[in-house]
Amino acid sequence: MESKKIKLIINGKKISAPAGQTILEVAKKNNIKIPTLCYHEDLKPEGRCGVCGVEVNGQIMTACNNKIKAGMIIKTNSKKVQEYRKINIQLVGCNFAREDAFKKWLKMENLPDIDELRFKPKTKEKIDCSACDITIDFSKCILCGRCIQKCRDVQSVNAICFAQRANALKVGTSFDKNIIQTTCVGCGQCALVCPTGAIKERDYISEVEKALADKKKHVIIQTAPSLRVALGEEFDMPAGTLVTKKMVSALRKLGFDKIFDTDFGADITIMEEANELIERIQKKKTMPMFTSCCPGWVNFLETFYPKMRKHLSTCKSPHQMFGSIVKTYYARKFGINPKDIIVVSGMPCTAKKYEARRKEMHSSGYQDVDYVLTTRELAKLIKKRKINFAKLEDQEFDMPLGESSGGGVIFGASGGVMESAIRTAHYILTGKELKNIEYTAVRGIQKIKKATIKIGNLKLNLAVVHGLANARKILEEVKSKKCNYHFIEVMACPGGCIGGGGQPQPTTMAIIKKRADAIYQQDKKQKFRQAHNNPQIQQLYQKFLGQPLGKKAHKLLHTTYRDKSKRI
Amino acid sequence: MKILTKNNFQTWEKIKNLSSQKIIEKIKQSGLNGRGGANFPVGKKWGLSYPAKYFICNADESEPGTFKDHFVLQNCPELIIEGLNIAMKALRAEQAYIYLREEYKILKPQFKTIIKKHSPYNIKIIIGAGAYICGEETGQINSLGGLRAESRHKPPYPAQKGLFSEKTCVNNVETLARLPLIWQQNFDPKLLLFSISGDVEKPGVYEAKEGIKLKKLLKLAKAKNTKAIFLGASGGCFPYNPNLIMSYDNISKKGGLLGAGGIIVLNQNKSIVNICRSIVQFFADENCGKCTPCREGNFRLLQLFQVIRYRKWKKEELEWIEKLVKFIPQGSQCALGQSSTLHLSTALKYFKQDFLKKTVSK
Repeated sequence: MESKKIKLIINGKKISAPAGQTILEVAKKNNIKIPTLCYHEDLKPEGRCGVCGVEVNGQIMTACNNKIKAGMIIKTNSKKVQEYRKINIQLVGCNFAREDAFKKWLKMENLPDIDELRFKPKTKEKIDCSACDITIDFSKCILCGRCIQKCRDVQSVNAICFAQRANALKVGTSFDKNIIQTTCVGCGQCALVCPTGAIKERDYISEVEKALADKKKHVIIQTAPSLRVALGEEFDMPAGTLVTKKMVSALRKLGFDKIFDTDFGADITIMEEANELIERIQKKKTMPMFTSCCPGWVNFLETFYPKMRKHLSTCKSPHQMFGSIVKTYYARKFGINPKDIIVVSGMPCTAKKYEARRKEMHSSGYQDVDYVLTTRELAKLIKKRKINFAKLEDQEFDMPLGESSGGGVIFGASGGVMESAIRTAHYILTGKELKNIEYTAVRGIQKIKKATIKIGNLKLNLAVVHGLANARKILEEVKSKKCNYHFIEVMACPGGCIGGGGQPQPTTMAIIKKRADAIYQQDKKQKFRQAHNNPQIQQLYQKFLGQPLGKKAHKLLHTTYRDKSKRI
Repeated sequence: MKILTKNNFQTWEKIKNLSSQKIIEKIKQSGLNGRGGANFPVGKKWGLSYPAKYFICNADESEPGTFKDHFVLQNCPELIIEGLNIAMKALRAEQAYIYLREEYKILKPQFKTIIKKHSPYNIKIIIGAGAYICGEETGQINSLGGLRAESRHKPPYPAQKGLFSEKTCVNNVETLARLPLIWQQNFDPKLLLFSISGDVEKPGVYEAKEGIKLKKLLKLAKAKNTKAIFLGASGGCFPYNPNLIMSYDNISKKGGLLGAGGIIVLNQNKSIVNICRSIVQFFADENCGKCTPCREGNFRLLQLFQVIRYRKWKKEELEWIEKLVKFIPQGSQCALGQSSTLHLSTALKYFKQDFLKKTVSK
């Protein structure tokens, strides 16, 4: 069926394309530009905005959701299409709250500029800023419906939906609650696809700037592994460019006192998590164990499957572990009062903004991580200070908490936590390093990845999922007790953290793939590939924490979970 | 009226043991068309959706000026259930739904007793969610499935992927009520129900043959001094012509839609522009909001129409009305959007003078 070719004519050019493709896809392949607004590569086209209308055999049709048929004569720029577009742009235009945003879009899509909007824009409701992870500004919404598709189809969370009808139509929540009262898990996938910035992360830039200006404060920033492969895109670099060293020097220019690496935190997480897994297997505790380094996923489980909380690893996420280590170990080592330390996390994630403010995350006696900035916010901050990012010199992370292993780096991609845990678990169990450390069975963007690995005489069944709709499938499987997994890695965002809700726009599956390649390259370059071989980690355990899962480690690095099912 | 025939489930007893193919073949031969408005051949639709998993009886009549389904539901529930039985048998469906308009829910108990007595099938009565778009096939399927009532893009058609992503067949109430009559002698597939209302002495439901002349039809309802007729809200507007042939083909040729047979009669004292304004208001309130051209277009149209409450149109405003009337059907994906400006396009064709009178002449 798929190999069947269909012949059609676009703009007088004879084209043959495989059946099942949409007009837009065929046009794109043949370098014919059709303007779009609500269309997104990874989502099912719904044809809401009507901007992509083209003439097919004399009739106007939306190009995004109509499939090609034999004998179609398509015109993308005929007089009829131009007239249609002219009116449609007028109607779409008065949905944009800001005229400059509208003009920018017109330019981007090669559409003719219009002098004046015939109709006055509607005044809509104000901002919903009840949650500490995302905010919704209804006045900017153009009702493209991408956010709702993500929330419903990709994440199966259904926190936001269309409400009302006709002219009163809006992106709303069930029973018109504030977003914080809904099932929202804060993953930020909606913000990632919002074309106008109506949904975006809660902004903490001004708080961070205030801290930077305060000379009494010792401001530390830690950057996530997936930040360095995506930050460059904000400065017009191609997707998948590694900008670790430029990023460090930009952050230093911004005035952060120390620039550390969350990969160090990831290495601690692996030490704890691998040991926890082995303990669970040996002591026959609740199986399978779920990873807990994704706060969106943790929220999801707490909300929809609170009875399965026991399956979650008690380990905190890497940046939270890092925060509590900074405010204890680091503060003592360098004689700084932890009261004066501000820990800022540079993250690809919006849910971490919520996580940092959880009651459970105060184990150092203070809020372990004070502020979380997303990749987009960091780029905004760099642009605000007029730093020429592309021309920055290369600089290295600060020591001692800037040293990391390859095992920490690959945390950014889906399957990374699993791979790195296996590297360390193998060593703990057998005393030998894994021979082939690149465990490719859990890599890639397949929705659900399953594998079995033999360590010593232990046979481990593993599963890796990303995207919460897929996580729901696995959870149902575990609930029905039809499977015997030992270890399941879940990331809320498609592709893992590199496709996180705080990453630069646009983020599509193709771009995520490129970012993943960059992450695995960085892993290869790393001096140490396994978390337990990181000398700074060894020192941390020897001098401060004692044993993994020890008393001190338990206090600082582990957490508990809540039942949030009342939100449903 | 033929439709009031008491059949007492005779047809059902007769064909209970026939094969699906034979039943569908007989319906194809009968030439019965759907009475929901699209006039699609019933036999063809069934052939496409066989074997269907779900069957839906569309009793969500909500077109302004149309009330023949209410008449059928009230007066011949036995025929509807008999028709449902035939449909379930022919399509081998597992489950049937009657999507009953909320305002008609008083009829539910009556149906329940008949179903209990006469139907071996699983038939559920669902009370509608109350939006106009719920009467549209795909909107109704969404509403039944627990989703937001929004039209779906076709293809896939409901016959391929409908309710709960299974093969589904949707038919109108009157269509079902006519089904058992096919097996009776001298069955006439061309008989239609017309709902006549407005400036007439005897408003009500009348049965007549497709292709009847307008004057004959209006004589039944005793209309006087007629200026124009509106075919429901979405069927278009025509000046009174006694010899206008009321058939699907002829009306579409003239730029309208006979639809479900609703006729609103206006006498010489009525203003066409004012009636159009009410209809614009109706569509601006009742579209689902999915497609920007329909949602925004109808809203802006309403804004333009509201102006004439206190002043005349400027020339530019009338031009914009004409532009939007052409534009909205092009950009919309479902029947609602595509026909939401039909009343204006026909009114502008036949009553342009009325519009110009409301416009500043400069």
